[in-house]
Amino acid sequence: MEALVISHQKQIGDKMLEGLISGLFKIFTSNMMNIPLIEPLVDYLMQIPLVNLLVALILWRPFFAVIILPGLVGLLIYLLWIVYWERKLTARVQWRVGPIEVARPIRGAIQALADGIRYFFQEAIIHREAHKIYYIQLPILAFIPILLPLLFIPAGNVVGIKTPYGIQLIVAFIALIPLFIVAMGWASHSRFAYIGSLREAFMYFAYEIPFIIAVVAMIYVYGSGDPYVAVEKQNIPGAVLNPLAFIVYIIAMIMATSRLPFEIPEADQEIAFGPFVEYSGILFGLVMTLLYEKLYLMALLFVILFLGGWEGFYVGILGDFCAPLVLFIKTVVVISVLVIVRSVYARYRLDQAIRLGWTSYLTLSIAALILGMFVGVLV
Amino acid sequence: MEENIKFLRSGILAPIKKWGTHWSLWPVHLVTACCGAELAHAFASGYDGERIGALNYGIARQTNLIIVEGAITRKMARVLRITWEQMPDPKFVIIMGTCGLNGGVFWNSYHLVKPFEVVPVNYFIPGCPSTPEALLRGIRQLQNEIRTGEPRSSIEFEKVDLGKGKMMPVTPKSPKKISLAPSIVVNVPRKADEETKKLADEISKLGLATTVTGKNRIALRVEKDELVDAAKKLQNFGFDHVKNVNVIDVPNEDKFIVEYHLGSYSKRELMPVVLNLFTELPRSEPKLKSLAKIFPSADYMEREMHDFFGVVFEGNEWMGRKFLLAPDTPEYPLKKDFKLEEEKYLR
Repeated sequence: MEALVISHQKQIGDKMLEGLISGLFKIFTSNMMNIPLIEPLVDYLMQIPLVNLLVALILWRPFFAVIILPGLVGLLIYLLWIVYWERKLTARVQWRVGPIEVARPIRGAIQALADGIRYFFQEAIIHREAHKIYYIQLPILAFIPILLPLLFIPAGNVVGIKTPYGIQLIVAFIALIPLFIVAMGWASHSRFAYIGSLREAFMYFAYEIPFIIAVVAMIYVYGSGDPYVAVEKQNIPGAVLNPLAFIVYIIAMIMATSRLPFEIPEADQEIAFGPFVEYSGILFGLVMTLLYEKLYLMALLFVILFLGGWEGFYVGILGDFCAPLVLFIKTVVVISVLVIVRSVYARYRLDQAIRLGWTSYLTLSIAALILGMFVGVLV
Repeated sequence: MEENIKFLRSGILAPIKKWGTHWSLWPVHLVTACCGAELAHAFASGYDGERIGALNYGIARQTNLIIVEGAITRKMARVLRITWEQMPDPKFVIIMGTCGLNGGVFWNSYHLVKPFEVVPVNYFIPGCPSTPEALLRGIRQLQNEIRTGEPRSSIEFEKVDLGKGKMMPVTPKSPKKISLAPSIVVNVPRKADEETKKLADEISKLGLATTVTGKNRIALRVEKDELVDAAKKLQNFGFDHVKNVNVIDVPNEDKFIVEYHLGSYSKRELMPVVLNLFTELPRSEPKLKSLAKIFPSADYMEREMHDFFGVVFEGNEWMGRKFLLAPDTPEYPLKKDFKLEEEKYLR
């Protein structure tokens, strides 16, 4: 009798699982990427049970946008590239060759990978004075405001969540990141970390207001906070429509990610990496990449607002994959040009940077807003 | 915990870890001497240490290699240990230059420690200072050690047979004796211009015996009980500060010579003049009234002289404890009969 009941329950369980799988499969296949290049492969894999579920998941558009491109995998590739590129560029400016011996045939391009592996396997020290719980979880929690904007960044048909308030949401989530950095400094409970957090908070107010005003100016120009509308209206690129907002946004990108003329919170020669001073091992690996990731997000928004987004070349064989690729390439090119500031500029003092932020920079952003209003009426 | 560490060191992921560590040795450099300039050279455009993945980094917490450049004093040893303990495992130490190896020009000095007694050292790089090539070779050797697991020297020197005739005839014997040095005279009269002589005569009128020892240089000898009176008189005359306090140990005459060099910033004709006010003390009872109350600038220098020679300046508040030297430095290291560590000659 008991055996019968168990087998009966098992049957019900099997049926439920089957229903779940088929339901998920239906959801995934209803909104799949269409890439003619790999279509034969996909067709072949779709005939195999369970593997087809995985393939359908990967090619499901929201999943693809958030996890593959322009999401996490793109972010990872970009990180490996930009750390190497920045070191190499600085080296060339200083008449050196930069990292090369790690892989001679490809000019040492996997140097960032070696550094990452070293950090991953190193001891992560938690010092006695730290607020232990916050100290450990904050570098991991800081990924929330990094990953959430990726939901709203569209690339053609590939998008996580489609909403008419996409641009505002992305800006809101980016504005959350400094909170985590300040909290890290507080949890480290060390002098340098304290000074660094304080500087971060000061700088936050210096750049965040002009940055938001510049984005609002572009929203006025396009008449909507929808990234699709913004890209659609860019027959002329946004950089030409509102050059003032363009300049303000570039400075905001440099300031917000602590690039060199404004590398004040981290200032490794003065306060030994400020809020991140006590982190070591994998935790430092996480916090060090935080600002690069922020730069990536801001550059994605920059490309959407000013450089025509995913509109570029279209290759028929790539299908839906073309738009994310264009967006990604544009973003990486923008950042690769931007990182040269690290090797050519000296550092401002905190008071100089704040004076700049609250006077001429804020004025410039308000001028950009007024210009945006006029252009918005004309376009 | 032990098992986890063992897994990290020899488990399935160990080759990946070794590869990463191998190509990512970021040195934090502890500059105490001239080898720092050579390190800068090694990482500048000529040699470019970043080629092999070594990036100079200022912060100990996030690096895995410490390069000690130069001599480590007793005070610095503490700093070295703290810096080393801050670094996360796996960590390595490279000592650069002869000073870290065996003292170099500061060999057998009272204030030096040997770095290998403070931290475990992976590689020594000889040279005074070491060349950039040698430093980069040291980093390469460390990479080799990480990859293969066995440390080895990067160079083997050819052995030269020193014949019998080249032997040193007599090695220095211990214990060493203090040589009978010629007696030290501070106030040797020398020729000078008229103005200095005139000034010396004026000072002599105060009741002090002066000697002119050169242009704008005057020496003035007093008994040790009269020192404070003499200083007060000179202060009224126009000297307003002590430039330097100096002690000379003369063991064969059993005396200390204590010198105060006085100068003036307020009286124009005294500005170029240095007046040497000196007195002599018996070595058995080196006590003297302090001038710190009259000339405040003498305060720190008296403390320092107390550190070095054990001369007690009565009235100075800091007597009896160490001022600039590390607390564990042996007492009165600049006295001539100070016992240094005995060196051993092999042949």
